[in-house]
Amino acid sequence: MDSIQNTYVKLLAFDFLSLSVKSSSSSFSSDPTCFYRKGRPVSRIETVGVVVSRELKGNKFLKFLIDDGTGCIPCILWLNHLDSPYFSRRNPSDVRLLAEIATKHASDVQLGVLARVRGRITAYRGNLQITVSDVLIERDSNAEILHWLDCIKLASKCYDVRPRQIC
Amino acid sequence: MACSEIKPGILVSLQDLRPSSPFFKQGVSLRVTGKLQEYSVETAIAIITDENIRLKIDTQHLRNLNLRLGSIYQFIGELCIENNNEATLQARVGRDVDGIDLSLYSQSLQLLRKFQADHLNNQNA
Repeated sequence: MDSIQNTYVKLLAFDFLSLSVKSSSSSFSSDPTCFYRKGRPVSRIETVGVVVSRELKGNKFLKFLIDDGTGCIPCILWLNHLDSPYFSRRNPSDVRLLAEIATKHASDVQLGVLARVRGRITAYRGNLQITVSDVLIERDSNAEILHWLDCIKLASKCYDVRPRQIC
Repeated sequence: MACSEIKPGILVSLQDLRPSSPFFKQGVSLRVTGKLQEYSVETAIAIITDENIRLKIDTQHLRNLNLRLGSIYQFIGELCIENNNEATLQARVGRDVDGIDLSLYSQSLQLLRKFQADHLNNQNA
């Protein structure tokens, strides 16, 4: 397996939005399953940027946009843990805890805050998005600059390097 | 999807906003950074500066943002250019960025632009 496949890759929005998508083997499925950056599979992302829109859909999910200056990344934060069949077989106290954490993340995501968002790369109606697992509000005004530098360095030293070239 | 229509605020310094600049266009979405010099509660117009260059910011759509003279702010919004070539940014988002290292910011912005341009060139090659 490629070493970057299951890590949270730090990508700028323009880089994230140009990932290529390969659909699953069934030609009837509209759900793409694999995402590639310059031919290397990626599945998780970390981004830092300003929240420029937020839209709460009942108690089911929060949709928001992260603007990092190079693009806007759509993010979806699910809030339906207590009603979703997906969680029904898990320990109820764990599910309650997950629901509480997601609710806290949703209240942290306000217009204008600088947010670090981690999550799975997914696609909805052909548009790339992040299915959010973690949100951290950055208080340090320099955090975004350091994220840009991380993205630039990681691209040249790691993501752009073919796996067999890595020692 | 309504939110996909929101354009990213291109990162610019106030020095980039001369009338001859490619960023100086009606309706362009920008993110600007500067020190708050003036603010009028009546008009909601703020003036930010960076190295003696001034920009008018219309803050009427901003909520929950305390504007303090002398602090550094970042605004994202659309540029509105009047007949006399005077520009105002119609801000939709604003935040206090006191503590930002402006020299690191402008140097990193150059690196970021080069990285983005190289990426696009490689894609088109």
